[in-house]
Amino acid sequence: MRYGLSVLMRGAIVTATALFLNAQAGAATLLREATIGEPPPLDVMLTTADVASVIGRHIFETLYALDSTYTPRPLLAESDREEDGGKTIVIKLREGILFHNGKEMTAKDVVASMTRWGNYGARGKLLMGAATSVEASGKYEVTLKLSAPNGAWKTLIADVNGGLAIYPEEVSTSAGNKPIEQKDYIGTGPYKFVEWRPNRYVEVEKFDGYKPVKEKADGFAGARVAIFDKIRFIPVPDVGTRVSGVQAGDYDYAEMISGDLYETLSKDQSIQVQRTNAPIFGLFFMNSKQGILKDNYKLRRAIQTALDKSQALRVAFGPKDLWNAEGSIFPKGTPWYSAEGVSGYSAHDAKKAKELAKEADYTGTPIRLLVSTNYQAHYDEASVFTRQLADAGINVQMMVVDWATLLKMRGQPEQWDIFVTHHSFSPDPLLLTFLNASYPGWWDSPEIGALRAELIKSTDAAARKATWDKIQALIYEQVPVMKVGDAYTYDIASPKLKGLNPNGPAFWNVSPK
Amino acid sequence: MWSYAFKRAGTTAVTLLAASVIIFAFIHVVPGDPIYVLLGDTATPDQIDALRHQLGLDQPIILQYLTWTGHVLEGDLGRSIFFQAPVLSVIADGAETSILLATMTMVWVAIIGVPIGMIAAVRHGTWLDQGLSGGAMLMASIPTFWVGLYLILIFAAWLGWFPSSGYPSIFEGGLANLRYLVLPSLALAAPNAALILRLTRASMLDVSREDYVRTARAKGIRPWQVVRRHIWRNALLAVVSAFGFTFAALLSEAVVTETVFALPGIGRLVVQSILRRDYPVIQGVILVIVVVYLLVNLIVDLSYRLLDPRVELQ
Repeated sequence: MRYGLSVLMRGAIVTATALFLNAQAGAATLLREATIGEPPPLDVMLTTADVASVIGRHIFETLYALDSTYTPRPLLAESDREEDGGKTIVIKLREGILFHNGKEMTAKDVVASMTRWGNYGARGKLLMGAATSVEASGKYEVTLKLSAPNGAWKTLIADVNGGLAIYPEEVSTSAGNKPIEQKDYIGTGPYKFVEWRPNRYVEVEKFDGYKPVKEKADGFAGARVAIFDKIRFIPVPDVGTRVSGVQAGDYDYAEMISGDLYETLSKDQSIQVQRTNAPIFGLFFMNSKQGILKDNYKLRRAIQTALDKSQALRVAFGPKDLWNAEGSIFPKGTPWYSAEGVSGYSAHDAKKAKELAKEADYTGTPIRLLVSTNYQAHYDEASVFTRQLADAGINVQMMVVDWATLLKMRGQPEQWDIFVTHHSFSPDPLLLTFLNASYPGWWDSPEIGALRAELIKSTDAAARKATWDKIQALIYEQVPVMKVGDAYTYDIASPKLKGLNPNGPAFWNVSPK
Repeated sequence: MWSYAFKRAGTTAVTLLAASVIIFAFIHVVPGDPIYVLLGDTATPDQIDALRHQLGLDQPIILQYLTWTGHVLEGDLGRSIFFQAPVLSVIADGAETSILLATMTMVWVAIIGVPIGMIAAVRHGTWLDQGLSGGAMLMASIPTFWVGLYLILIFAAWLGWFPSSGYPSIFEGGLANLRYLVLPSLALAAPNAALILRLTRASMLDVSREDYVRTARAKGIRPWQVVRRHIWRNALLAVVSAFGFTFAALLSEAVVTETVFALPGIGRLVVQSILRRDYPVIQGVILVIVVVYLLVNLIVDLSYRLLDPRVELQ
């Protein structure tokens, strides 16, 4: 009897252990990312919000993707050719690509997405504004005809942020200008949308029908392999909580950590620090349509001459590792880096500024500076500059509002003279907001008009760089915007995560150690 | 009592109507626009106008109000612009967290605030009273976010006893998920327990000066019986009233704690919706909060009669 009981118990223990191990082996792996907040709808074509792009790039894909040097490489496209001096672009698509609803992607889907992007996409006009036609010239071939060649076309369609993400034809056609509904979050990415619980998480899971490209992974380009079964993007608005959450093991990755914690966290063995290689930069836009700064370039130069950008960067971003007082619009190491005009970047010469202001007939009229407190860095930069400008006798009146109000007010030229924002890293000058004449600031002088046309038309890399040099020189002469400097954001992750992407949060190819 | 309840319900309906007009007017007076937030930095004026038309935001305010009221009367609070989901379900999801958080906080407040308040009152003027009252002042003065961050640091990051943040629903993970609310409810309980402590103490001291208490003592009733039968029960009225309003306030005003602990509650929902100008959500949440306040007010008033038969409801 006792022997029988002992055998039974041993059997039970072995079975339980086997069941436990089996459950462990079969348990779905989950990656938890703490984001800075709740995203807007994930219609990445329409929105440029980073928090939507980070989630969206796992679900939706583009024809091309940027590698670690920000060069576009084929993703959903297989190859391309240009005809008629660059005015006709023929893109051959990869075959056998499946949408998350099981349907195969064909040229019709790409044409419908391109059409919607051209009409309503956040950056659609940059390319499609000059499109005369876009059609399926084969089941897997799309032909785009332009009224003039566009030297940056591939870069313009190589990122999901306000970009040409490929949706199924019926989704693009039925959505029109409204953000697509959650049931229509259907892409071709390595992860598919599962659910969105307001203020709790957005969940995506591995898409078994995904077919990666053959090339090795490099930045956002190359093979994408989903290793984690599921990813949850969890909104955690407080930065302290994001940090403690990673330290406590409640999150595996946390975005956008504040500069004041950088030095402490860099030494912390329980986390890994991931500094972005693509800086963002603060921008002060001048009103080129109305008001005291409209075309008073001398007064604008007086303002820029009075400023010490390093001081503002130090206050806004903290440790020196996280910022660089760089006058070139594009950072060193990129093909667009230029030294043209940068001597005027951060002179900090109050005396010269006073002289320039006098020559510009400035009599102390208040200059209205529109800034939001939603981004602490914007406010910090504006506060430092306001004081520096006061030293040079330039009277700045700060108008502090929330971000939603600023977005509306900056569209009304009578409301402001300068407004503060920031710009994310751009792989091509054509993606810079201030080169867009309809973007608030409305820089559209005859000089920039001619240079912009030259930059779009030219398809030769060296010629485009030469044009960009001239544009940067003009930026320092006409001062449509003032660049504050490069700021490097950083994220933190559990030391167990391997294969993190240097271009930004993207969790394909990421594995638990 | 029933006629009183009906009368109060009528007043409540009028208050609600007035509140709905005020809510709607104020939200639309604030500058800013959901379309700009939705479409982001690079949207052209044409795109903005087209989407505004699609969402019906270009209609006159009066018309928008009447449409909204019509839908509300049918039980439809509209659809969130950002969450792309019915406002009612967004609120219901947030309400679970807020109700559980407020309830757990009130349990801490009752356990800590009331007994300590009683002890302070009974030992009035002694070093114990001074110490307890001083401690309460300290608890009430420390900002909730600071307490919250330290609770996370100590009990989640260092000791690993509780989760640092978030709250998965108890309908998905069972009652064990209540452990997610332990630290936030403690952070919220600190200042509120201090207030209830001081209120209990003050209220009991007031009652203890009444003639009938002196008479009871003169009759030779044991001191603890005087406290239990005559002082505490009569002092309870003010405390219950404060409990009601603290609970209602916790439902909607725990925004700082909800932000620090990344909880999907009502407070955070409303602040976030205001920042993004998600009009249907703001209107819906504020309306629900007003209803809750009015109901709590009604329940508190009705409970006076149960607690104290001398109170007459007219």
